[in-house]
Amino acid sequence: MTAAPGDAILRAVEQSKLAAAMRGELWLYPAVEVLHICGFVILVGAAIMFDLRLFGFSRGLPVRDLARHLLPWSCAALLVIVPTGLMMFSAHAGDFVDNRAFVLKLTLLMFAATNAAAFHAGVFRSAASWDRDVAAPLGARLHAAGSLALWIAIISCGRLIAYV
Amino acid sequence: MGRSPFVLVGLLFALSAGAHHGWSEYDSAKVLNVTGVIKEAGYEHPHGHVRLEAAGKTWLVVMAPPSRMENRGLATADLKPGTTVTVVGYPNRGKPEEMRAERITVNAKTIELR
Repeated sequence: MTAAPGDAILRAVEQSKLAAAMRGELWLYPAVEVLHICGFVILVGAAIMFDLRLFGFSRGLPVRDLARHLLPWSCAALLVIVPTGLMMFSAHAGDFVDNRAFVLKLTLLMFAATNAAAFHAGVFRSAASWDRDVAAPLGARLHAAGSLALWIAIISCGRLIAYV
Repeated sequence: MGRSPFVLVGLLFALSAGAHHGWSEYDSAKVLNVTGVIKEAGYEHPHGHVRLEAAGKTWLVVMAPPSRMENRGLATADLKPGTTVTVVGYPNRGKPEEMRAERITVNAKTIELR
């Protein structure tokens, strides 16, 4: 599918010691999988709880306080999710890049990251004026709707990697 | 109380064991019974595999995760190239060379892989 240099890199990844251990060690792969899941439970859980607040649930909770609590945990979760994801990727790198669900998942991840970055750089800057007891602006709710849809789609794609 | 760690480990195992390829991509209405010689085998996560030469065709036989094979008593040594084995399984709906093994008979023992 990809050009020769890309294939060579993928082969090198698959032939690495790490990839061999992921394939060959009896319990490594499932353990890494469990860690990956624990990580994204925190990340996606935090994102969706925040989205629900933006939709207007629990309006008494200050938006900025909630963000201050959730955002560091989301970032910490990424430190678990990304390495474990790369470890699973290494075991069968060539298969992953040819897997439509995996490619779509990475694409949607880029959208989700862009959506979150745009929210924080944009409408969230005015959060002091809609911190609590009022509806979040439409822009914020649109970001929340995008986030909710994207994360559900990303989890679906992740699961579908094994089925397509 | 004392049993709960084992229950947890069992649950994790059940989740991880079931968490890879689904069986839906294989056509369970067409049961294959293939006896052949192992050309190459991988005792690998997330699934083991065997390349099985039988009647002029080389099948890619998708097996269970190695942790399950080990639990059921199918060791790495059982899948040595040159060994004659019988596999009961189902063809992949989209890939005519690939099948998923329901069970394998090797060295006079039959091991369930599902």
